[in-house]
Amino acid sequence: MDVAFRKIDIDVYDEDALQESELYDADNRDPAQALEEARARQVSVRSLLAKNDTAGALTTMLDNSPYGPNVEDAKTISLQTLLTILNSTKSTEIPTAINSLSIDSQDTLMKYLYKGMAMSGWADSNASVLLSWHEKLTEIAGTGCIVRTMTDRRTV
Amino acid sequence: MPEIFNISQTPITAHAFNADRSQLAVSLNSNDAQILTRSGSEWAPTEMLTEHDKVITSIDWAPNSNQIVTASQDRNAYVWQQTPDPDTGKIVWKPTLVLLRINRAATHVRWSPKEDKFAVASGARAIAICSFDPENNWWVSKHLKKPIRSTVLAVDWHPNNVLLAAGSADMKARVFSAYVKEIDERPAATVWGSKLPFNTICGEFASAAGGWVHSVGFSPSGDVLAFASHDSSISIAYPGGAIHNIRMPTLPLVTLTWTSEDTIIAAGHDCQPIVFSGSDAGWQEVGTLDNGSYGTGSKAGPGSVGRLKTGAFATFRDADSRGQTSSGTTDSKLSTIHQNTITSVRPYAGVPGQITQVSTTGVDGTLVIWDTASVSALTGRMAALSV
Repeated sequence: MDVAFRKIDIDVYDEDALQESELYDADNRDPAQALEEARARQVSVRSLLAKNDTAGALTTMLDNSPYGPNVEDAKTISLQTLLTILNSTKSTEIPTAINSLSIDSQDTLMKYLYKGMAMSGWADSNASVLLSWHEKLTEIAGTGCIVRTMTDRRTV
Repeated sequence: MPEIFNISQTPITAHAFNADRSQLAVSLNSNDAQILTRSGSEWAPTEMLTEHDKVITSIDWAPNSNQIVTASQDRNAYVWQQTPDPDTGKIVWKPTLVLLRINRAATHVRWSPKEDKFAVASGARAIAICSFDPENNWWVSKHLKKPIRSTVLAVDWHPNNVLLAAGSADMKARVFSAYVKEIDERPAATVWGSKLPFNTICGEFASAAGGWVHSVGFSPSGDVLAFASHDSSISIAYPGGAIHNIRMPTLPLVTLTWTSEDTIIAAGHDCQPIVFSGSDAGWQEVGTLDNGSYGTGSKAGPGSVGRLKTGAFATFRDADSRGQTSSGTTDSKLSTIHQNTITSVRPYAGVPGQITQVSTTGVDGTLVIWDTASVSALTGRMAALSV
């Protein structure tokens, strides 16, 4: 049986189709600005990490993270920077670092963890780190945090 | 002590009591609605309402006019009235047709406070406001359409019989005017507005992380709107003022009801009714109605974060960490009374603004009647976390 018709995107023929952009408030920064901010954060995170301030570095990264379409470069840099923080934290210090975060930041951290696990090629080198952060974060922020990661359209 | 009734082995999709709580209409995830009559501590099936040809999604029983309305995935709704059968003279429930004019499933139905209208939410991005047309002996509908962008999942009436709240899969909770000039008197001005022609949008709210809005509810005065959405949060919105958003560490809530002007009871995938309390200054979670001692399960349950460390989880963890498959020793029961998602919580006893008991039904086929006063703190939530 020919099943090619199943792949036709019928929504394009529906003038009234629900658009992704209608489901959340867009990030109002333009791509260049977002990229610049992400780079600036990368620098400040490095200096915070040099001072052993994991909590400070995490807060800097997770506050006002770039999201939505058109800011792919800024998102990639943010994820890279975040992975640097995660990789440089001793596993015994993870709970303290997570506890110092606001609920908003915890939700954003969970989004990055899932994004990290979803990136092909990235997960190989970071899998165990991501999983141990995921375990600790779930214990503190609960399954609600995971549900919000899946629900929220403002993807990081 | 809550009253527990095991109604069926199948999920209960909707439940509604009659005025004196002696009868109960339930939909057991099927095309038929069943009327159960209470005899002592049992609910015995007495009558079957058969007319729909797809699953019934929602039922509401008008307390004063004693009419039942059912909504179904077959895109129809029926209003049922008790009338004598022409042949036998026996009193039976007879359906009346409702002209819904929707091309998708009806998802939720509620009588207005005066019982002269009802609202049917649907997947057709519309809410049908139905009123009776005596000339043709059927119910006709007017559609609330704009600006709904997706399936409407829940509706709730304002006490003034005109305003309607709706929660929808486009992540928004809205307040509409459902003023029908043939039946409604001109409503007095409320905090939601003063000029209220049909389809006026009096408020539109969303939770920060989005998520389908599963349930909406006006406070007893009608001045505040609460809604629960799929981002595991409950929001309490004051028109023109603050929106308080409480994010839960547990699985999402799917149903809620106000028990007084400062208290809400909500329940969902976490299998227990949670109590919230507050005012325009702020809201917080104050506890649960299920203290975990009523159920028979012994493992985590209320107290743990979501259903995190339950039986199935423990089985896989043992298999992983110790390389053994536990042989029937793992208790897969939750320590809550409900063993699966609670899909409906409704007022049972008391007057609006002072509800003393609520009833819940869920996917586990159980009906539970809870005293709203016996709230126990959600302690042990953190303690139960240690692996």
